[in-house]
Amino acid sequence: MKRLLKPLVVVLTSRVTAVVVMGLFLLVYVGIAFFTDETLVALIALTGKNPFLIALFALLPLNTAGRMVAEGVEYLGRRRALSGSAAPAAPLFDETVQIPAAADPSILEERLKKDGYRTRLSGGTLSAWRGSGTFAARMLYLTATFCLFAGILISLTTRTSVRSTVIEGEPVLEDGSARVERVVLAEGEGAILAKTLDIELAGAAPGDRTRVYGLYPPSRYQGTFLYPRYLAVGLLLRFSAPDLQPGFEEFSVLNISRPGKEAPRPIPGSPYKIIFSLADPGDGSEPYTTGKMVFLFRLLKGKEVVLSGSAPAGGEFAKDGYRLQFPDVRRVVITDFIRDYGVTLIWFAFAVYLVAILLWLPVRLFLPRREMLFVTGTGAAVACSRAEGRGRRHAGVFQEALDLLESGHARETQKKVQ
Amino acid sequence: MLAAAVKLVPQLLCFAGIVLVLLRGLHARRSTVIAGVGCGFLLGTAATLVLFRTVAAAASLAVIRDVIGAAFLLLCGVAVASLYLSTGRAATEPPSGGFLRGAVPVGAGALLAGFVSAAICASRLPDVAAGAVPAALILVVAAAALIVAASALEKLLPASFTASPASLAAAVVALLLFSSSSIIRLDLFSPLTMKVMKFTHDFVHQFFESMLIPDHLFIRSYLWGYIGLFFGKEVGFWGGMVIWFAPALLILLAVRLEPLPMVSHIRQGAQRRRLLAEAIRNRRLKLVLPLIATLLLGGAIYKSRFPSVEYWDPKPVAVTPAASGEIFIPRKGEIELEDGRLHKYLLKQGGREVRFFVLMTPAGKLTVDLDACAICKPDGYGQAEGTVICYYCKTLIPLETVGKPGGCNPVPVQFTEKPDGVHLDSVALANLWSSTVQSTTKVKEGGK
Repeated sequence: MKRLLKPLVVVLTSRVTAVVVMGLFLLVYVGIAFFTDETLVALIALTGKNPFLIALFALLPLNTAGRMVAEGVEYLGRRRALSGSAAPAAPLFDETVQIPAAADPSILEERLKKDGYRTRLSGGTLSAWRGSGTFAARMLYLTATFCLFAGILISLTTRTSVRSTVIEGEPVLEDGSARVERVVLAEGEGAILAKTLDIELAGAAPGDRTRVYGLYPPSRYQGTFLYPRYLAVGLLLRFSAPDLQPGFEEFSVLNISRPGKEAPRPIPGSPYKIIFSLADPGDGSEPYTTGKMVFLFRLLKGKEVVLSGSAPAGGEFAKDGYRLQFPDVRRVVITDFIRDYGVTLIWFAFAVYLVAILLWLPVRLFLPRREMLFVTGTGAAVACSRAEGRGRRHAGVFQEALDLLESGHARETQKKVQ
Repeated sequence: MLAAAVKLVPQLLCFAGIVLVLLRGLHARRSTVIAGVGCGFLLGTAATLVLFRTVAAAASLAVIRDVIGAAFLLLCGVAVASLYLSTGRAATEPPSGGFLRGAVPVGAGALLAGFVSAAICASRLPDVAAGAVPAALILVVAAAALIVAASALEKLLPASFTASPASLAAAVVALLLFSSSSIIRLDLFSPLTMKVMKFTHDFVHQFFESMLIPDHLFIRSYLWGYIGLFFGKEVGFWGGMVIWFAPALLILLAVRLEPLPMVSHIRQGAQRRRLLAEAIRNRRLKLVLPLIATLLLGGAIYKSRFPSVEYWDPKPVAVTPAASGEIFIPRKGEIELEDGRLHKYLLKQGGREVRFFVLMTPAGKLTVDLDACAICKPDGYGQAEGTVICYYCKTLIPLETVGKPGGCNPVPVQFTEKPDGVHLDSVALANLWSSTVQSTTKVKEGGK
């Protein structure tokens, strides 16, 4: 079992794993690029369906978690070594040197203090350090990376999306659990959103309170995010023509939320087609926002325009035996109902990345961690050193300290001889 | 013949450069390098002749370009690995690449380098598809002479000039890329920028959808303007630059971050300082080769952006539709439609100016296309060496595929071919132009 676990632990804690996995995904991406222009979309779809690729991708968060554990253990080990409660082990430090003959490290304490190091002397162990270190920032970075990859993995494997037409006055979904009371499009406030969109849902049961579902951050309805994609207008159309009796009536969803945009509506079983658009009120207001909608239309029979005109919501237009009525108009939002548990994790990851960078930068610039440890036994000593930044200067201090230890030993020996 | 020989000079010089750096970097294996690179060149020339005789020129060149692309990908991997080896906790001395200096890897690497160099050179031979055996033989003889010259020159280089395996790989691949960049159908940088542009567009789109960020309808226009920057061709160019230079820069960084020797066990300060100074000087010398590689990569970009090719780009001829809306373009007359050249026309209708062109493809079929594609801003096309080029994104479209829809191909127009010429409907043409230009402008402005 141990023989099986060992390579697994190596893979999960190695610095190389994440790079190799990302390299493999890059190769898959390049491979897909030979077959389709929609490479990224194809890669996302392929990864979501292919168990091997999912397992490969899962290595990314697992490796990050493994790194957190490994680096945490290493950090604690180093702390213990510096406090003198454990023997120093080579992998904990950048450099470990054994000196065959050394003086008591207490002779270094004052010297290191002058160089700006804080020291701790207990028995034959002297530890010296300065700066606060980037361990906390590193842990935050790894946490963010874990959340990011875990979020992407969850999103890739479990995301479901259902597109639905949200119409004022109608149940929000076919289950009839809540009804759309109002759709409100308004001018936005703030630096990001130009418009706000509120979908007001009344509870299915009488007396249930109305809840407002805004644009961002996305609200949840029965565990799914409401993600408005685009706006449309629902129009109840009654149409009759001299050769089309008794006429035609249907509720149509037209993609004409802004003036100038045209949407065709063919009349089934007839040669007629009506092309709708919204009239520009001319006062800078938006018909979708105010609800004051005037419909422009062109009636085509085959390729020939037989009638054109306009009528307001609730109004009608009649000419030459043709009659168009618009008795009911409603605001419509084409909405995706998305179930995705990864989204929150990914946003959380971005927030943690930001904190990590804000923490790391000043520490790395102004307070990089530099550590030394001198442990003396009977005459010999083990000295360890580690630096997060300005390593050359730190190495110089370390080497001089070793010189002092050895020369101190020589002096002590000389005194004893005399 | 002389002109063809002159055309091959940059490629042959690059080959000589490859031999030179291989000999210097793998000094202990001189004979293996010479044998490998020589055999590789011979095999590469023969394989290219066979390839061009077996499949169409466009497909053959695509194969060679893919091989160069694979070499670039490999270099990316080498660069990342070298950085990891240099910065890892276990790195106590510079990576020596011991295994890579064995006879088999050296021989294989030299063989591959010679093979790809030969493929690039041979693809430039005149009438390569017809099997230009005498020209190929002259090419091989020239390559052999260059190997001898490079071998002699290498002995004159200072002994302190050394190379890590990663630096060596960077120099060889940079020379291959520089060599291929003067052949427009082997150029990798332009397709790379196109792929980066597409990837960025798709990534931003997917990010918005995945993170449930509201569409542009709800976002302030100034903010959307900034987001729209991700959809421009500049993103393709700068992103392409980052990817293009990344391996060489990573290798530079890896050399710069190579650990200095541990000297703490030495008790004489002067000796410590001498060892460190020597290590730093050697490290600086190791930077020379990746720096040369970076310059070569920059040169390849320059050649890609400003090719020494004159595109055939005639001034559009104004056409006027008949009362029925039909446009007629005669097959023969002042303009010969069947001469294999691109002929541009301009239709002015309802305040719109519609550009389109007529072209006889190598298969002998006439095609009518918009002077615009479904992806880019309609900057139009020029014609060169069996391709048309999209001026906006610099993508090369083989003439064989002009008339087929998709990607950066010119948008095909419906037309009727009659014995007297080409007939097309001006209304359909104008509508197609409007819808194409509208959609590509939306992309350019950051629409989704």
